[in-house]
Amino acid sequence: MIWLTPLAVAGALATAAAAIYRASDSAAARSIAVRAVTAVALGTTGITIIELHLAERAATAWLAPPTGLALVPIAFSLTALVIVSLAPLASHPPRTLARVLLLLAVATAALSSTAPAAIAAAWLASTWIAWTEFRERAPGGDAARLFATYHSASSALAVAGAAGLALGSPAVGIPLLIAGIAIRQAIVPLHSWLPQFVEAMPLGIVVAFIAPQLGLYAHLALLVDGIPGEIATAIAATGAFTAVIAAGLGIVQSDARRALAFLIISQTGLVAFGLENHSPVARAGASAAWLALAVATTGFAMTLAALEARRGRLSLHIPTGNFARTPRLAVALLFFGFASVGFPATLGFVAEDLLVQGSVAEFPALCLALIAATALNGITVMRAFLYLFSGSARHGGELDLQRRELRALTIAMMVLLLAGLFPQPLVSLVQPRPAAATDATAAAP
Amino acid sequence: MIQDIHDVLKVLTLSLLIFPAGVAAVLIFVAWFDRARSEATVNALVATGYTATVAAATALLALMASQGVERVVVPLGAWVAVGHYHFDWTLIADHLSVPFALFSSMLVALIGAFSRRYLHLERGYLRFYLLMALFGAGVELVVLAGSLDLVFFAWEIVGLTSALLIAFFNERRRPVEHGFLAFVTYRLCDIGLLGAAVWLHHTVGTSAVTAAPTATTPWASFAVPAGAAATAAGLMLLWAAMGKSAQVPLGGWLPRAMEGPTPSSAIFYGAISIHLGPYLLLRAGSILDHAPMAAAAVTMVGAVTALHATFVGRVQSDIKSALAYASMTQVGLIFVEIGLGCRYFALAHIVGHAAIRSLQILRSPSLLHDHHHLEQAMGAQLPKTGGHLERLVPDRLQPWLYRHALERGYLEGIIKDYALGGFLRLFRRLDALDRAWSRAVAQSGPQAARWSRAGRDAREAS
Repeated sequence: MIWLTPLAVAGALATAAAAIYRASDSAAARSIAVRAVTAVALGTTGITIIELHLAERAATAWLAPPTGLALVPIAFSLTALVIVSLAPLASHPPRTLARVLLLLAVATAALSSTAPAAIAAAWLASTWIAWTEFRERAPGGDAARLFATYHSASSALAVAGAAGLALGSPAVGIPLLIAGIAIRQAIVPLHSWLPQFVEAMPLGIVVAFIAPQLGLYAHLALLVDGIPGEIATAIAATGAFTAVIAAGLGIVQSDARRALAFLIISQTGLVAFGLENHSPVARAGASAAWLALAVATTGFAMTLAALEARRGRLSLHIPTGNFARTPRLAVALLFFGFASVGFPATLGFVAEDLLVQGSVAEFPALCLALIAATALNGITVMRAFLYLFSGSARHGGELDLQRRELRALTIAMMVLLLAGLFPQPLVSLVQPRPAAATDATAAAP
Repeated sequence: MIQDIHDVLKVLTLSLLIFPAGVAAVLIFVAWFDRARSEATVNALVATGYTATVAAATALLALMASQGVERVVVPLGAWVAVGHYHFDWTLIADHLSVPFALFSSMLVALIGAFSRRYLHLERGYLRFYLLMALFGAGVELVVLAGSLDLVFFAWEIVGLTSALLIAFFNERRRPVEHGFLAFVTYRLCDIGLLGAAVWLHHTVGTSAVTAAPTATTPWASFAVPAGAAATAAGLMLLWAAMGKSAQVPLGGWLPRAMEGPTPSSAIFYGAISIHLGPYLLLRAGSILDHAPMAAAAVTMVGAVTALHATFVGRVQSDIKSALAYASMTQVGLIFVEIGLGCRYFALAHIVGHAAIRSLQILRSPSLLHDHHHLEQAMGAQLPKTGGHLERLVPDRLQPWLYRHALERGYLEGIIKDYALGGFLRLFRRLDALDRAWSRAVAQSGPQAARWSRAGRDAREAS
């Protein structure tokens, strides 16, 4: 089965990428990218609304993936809009910006099928695109070598696993695929490539490679419900372990990019944990968290990128910032940071609430670990905000958010806030369909 | 007729939340879109919103008392519902929440009026009012919340705005560090609150306020899980309350919070924020009734805090620290009262303490002036008051106790060195290991990166 909407969105993003790849002027390339992505985002939203409307009459089964995934292309196009609108010119020349769009195009295209071969192909393509950026930027560096080491292993495992599944031998395919996904999703202790990747690459590439969580999609499309009980428990436990350890590591970082990296790892752990729950509540939470994190983490990372473009490398050693000139940049960083750790009134809150409430019957102890991880991640975000924007009376006269940046961030904020204040429509869409759902927690006293 | 009155009461209850939230929303909009605004406009908005809230709360209290209505429940519908899990928004106005809602909105209104002059021409004028309005809305929601989930929702907002107000003077390092310390304490204690909400869902299927009033807990409370599960829920709630109310050993943030502007200090350690911990425990009265060990722990924590804070407060040399420790002492006593089951007494103590302490804190910048004024009026030096404890404590013990008080009971050192320090050291070591591992892998990894570099060099050469 192939769904057409994600393919169309991917095609549009890829076309925009092709249009700017050879541009000579960075500013012009960005301007084209912003316009193109705005059109894609509007188009995607429109099509999805029509689809959901028609889906009630079951007329569009061939257009959109099952309702749970119908919203993902919107989240990805919003992610693309935030990235291209905030991408600093110095670190995002036309080729880099084109790769950002291409990465998102590949991730969206992956949603058009649940065939193992298609997912493996998207997996390889996105790894290759990120790798080409490495080749141009930091060939031979530690980060590039780590990336090569981890991702050649991860891609080989994923391809072998997908082949195993396609050839009808899940006993071989599933373990290989799990190992591949664990590396790709930077599950502790297989995470070491990610902090280096975040430190070395332009943040636009980082977000476009990580935020769509291709590994998570592979997990959702190929593995969920196919994993034997004990292994599922082990995966959930590893997810929770990752969430806590990475949250702790995030707190002790003195570099903003590394802190961001561990924040991302911790949240990936949370989602991985949620997917291996059998409760539909936790699964709905994990799916909502996927959407919330794609947008919120992108907002947080790109505000960091915008601030870095204004100030240079950002240290979290002591509070030495000032937001007198950049109040909205500061608020955006705070908002998206907290949105990504599940602050009330944002979509992340609902997602994490569902994750925790859904998993308590199955994994009470892990559930407490999850709560602790979220608390620690909140501390990392607050530290980043306070240390980057206060503590000093001096400022470098930086510019606040420009109109282009403000527009994209405002849209992303409104989406997170509206979905957070009125979550039921979204949650109804992402909750597992009753046929597949086995409410393990319903029997709880 | 009866139905009409119930509708009016529901509207009034709802307006207690809508007015403050509306003020906060407008201020957020104004700040984000950078609309032109004068101090007078901001002030008028806050004053109108909070006057309306106070009026609604007063009317609600009066109507409930005159009509003999015990409880008003406003169901706002299911917010999220998946499978067996429901997160409903329900507001409850009763003997416990209405006095709290009234005095907190009154204090926010009062402090808003006071700050009009106090913060005149301050650069963060709008920021102060925005955070205060958001804080006020959060507090109203905490006290009116009909379930522990909803309490958590609002609790987080209160915590964040408190920390940001402590760090209000953001150009100095100290206030920022102290705001951060308060936030860390809040956040760690929030684990207890969310944990308790989840635990109640797990054990009794709901965290809503459903248990009917009893002789010991005269207002609606939470459904109680059986046996040890009740103790676990009680202890988690105690942990949550300890952070917000600065109980030993988590009270280190409170005296440091004085670096914020005086009006906001009055909100936190004088009046509202610090009393949210006792509020939570009062609302959870049913759980404490069924979990004697948790109730004993509440009493114990309160007693230790009261003793600790009264000793430490006596050696403070600045007025705001002394007041902070005095607040801590009183809140410790309130914890003791709650633990012992004196619920109405604790409520009266809270309201009285909040009123007197906010007045003292708001007057604290004029302390010298007040002293001079009093001395002039009396025509003599003011006599030394207090000192009962000094007469009770044996002479040999006094120097030791003095040193103990000066060092704040060595509590912060112990936490910093062992609990927090141990955690940070462990994770720094893990981070160092991670970096070492990355280096090792990078230097012995496959040759792909080198090939690519060689290929690129070759292309460039050609």
